[in-house]
Amino acid sequence: MINHHPKFELIQAYVNGDLPASVSAAIKIHADMCPECQEKILQLTEQVAEISFEKVESDEDMSIELSEQDADMLSQILADAEFLQTDDVVTAEVAERFVMFKGKNYKLPNVLANMEIGGVTNIGKLARSRVLLDEGEIRTSLLHIEPEGSVPQHTHKGFEITLLLDGEFSDKSGTYVKGDFIMLDGQHEHQPVSDNGCLCFTVVNDALHFTQGINKLLNPIGSLIY
Amino acid sequence: MADVQTELRNKTVSDKPSLMNKELDHLQLCQWLTAVATDRDKQAFTRLFQFFAPKILRIAKGKFPNEAQANEVVQETMTNVWRKAHLFDQNKGAVTTWIYTVMRNVTFDMLRKVKSNKEDNLSDDIWPLAESLVTEDEVFVDHIENKKICDVIAVLPENQQQVIKGFYFNEMSQEQLAAHLNVPLGTIKSRLRLALAKLKKQLGESYD
Repeated sequence: MINHHPKFELIQAYVNGDLPASVSAAIKIHADMCPECQEKILQLTEQVAEISFEKVESDEDMSIELSEQDADMLSQILADAEFLQTDDVVTAEVAERFVMFKGKNYKLPNVLANMEIGGVTNIGKLARSRVLLDEGEIRTSLLHIEPEGSVPQHTHKGFEITLLLDGEFSDKSGTYVKGDFIMLDGQHEHQPVSDNGCLCFTVVNDALHFTQGINKLLNPIGSLIY
Repeated sequence: MADVQTELRNKTVSDKPSLMNKELDHLQLCQWLTAVATDRDKQAFTRLFQFFAPKILRIAKGKFPNEAQANEVVQETMTNVWRKAHLFDQNKGAVTTWIYTVMRNVTFDMLRKVKSNKEDNLSDDIWPLAESLVTEDEVFVDHIENKKICDVIAVLPENQQQVIKGFYFNEMSQEQLAAHLNVPLGTIKSRLRLALAKLKKQLGESYD
């Protein structure tokens, strides 16, 4: 059962289109598995659409005559449309896409179908592929943890979003399942462990900071894992 | 938000009632968009353009300082309304919600182009224009049932296990499995058939 959801402000920003593609994708993946959040998104979109299009600030809006500029644009769209009609049929179909980690094939959520995904880097029981979104300091990855694998205890300088695509993992706060949307920041410190293995979609905006004993030696490679 | 609504209400009172209903005429908008989708009706499209274009322009000006880019949002949005009208489903929401989605998606892709030089147009994947609703079985995986099935699968011959797991658990197509396991498609089909027959028998028995 999904227990962790994006908070309201985040869903609102998602509906407004104000979030980066990486974070928007994480919310979309969650919403596809969470009827509750899907309903919230639907209602918020309806509301913001209503407000966007009901504001009538001047009579111009409703005038029957189009301005010259608008009329030009309209006739251009309709002229282009003649060409589009025959050879350009838009469909909502999304091709299925799979990704392979340690010999296991995973079907990717539709929202990732057209994203560029880099090669696999292995670090012990961890393996990750970068999702190449080119969003500056924000890094997005597919992170695979083999059974009994774990990410060493760490904290975050920025934020870390983890969306579980398959399997489960736990940390001191509890166990997480497929579809859970987990957002942590610098105040949190955790050590995710996966007994049976898992695949996550992760978004971080700064390197991980390992906090315990020998693992501190890993700090230079913190940005390699996530 | 409250301020906006109050302001609108006041406006309604002072404006001509015939044109200035505060309430959107959803039914009328829906008829126009449907006419565009089914009959490629240019007259109906012109009506939609008259209604939405000025509003889209005003919103776009808030996101893009450049007038030309704001105009591009309008043109691109209205072009997509024409091209994708058939993806609108009136049972799933209002025309305003759908056109808002088209506009937000165009804006998102344009802003992404400006910021990161990427021309990947991801918005329709993030906010699909034809939204499929969540199917229950995807959400509520029955773990006990899964466990039982896994136990039964475990006693199948290895080659049958491979196709069952690939096909049902990893959602690979039969073609993909054939390529993956390097056997002919016909072999995949017959292994699948054999395995399913055995599973049915096994599960049927354990349910009796």
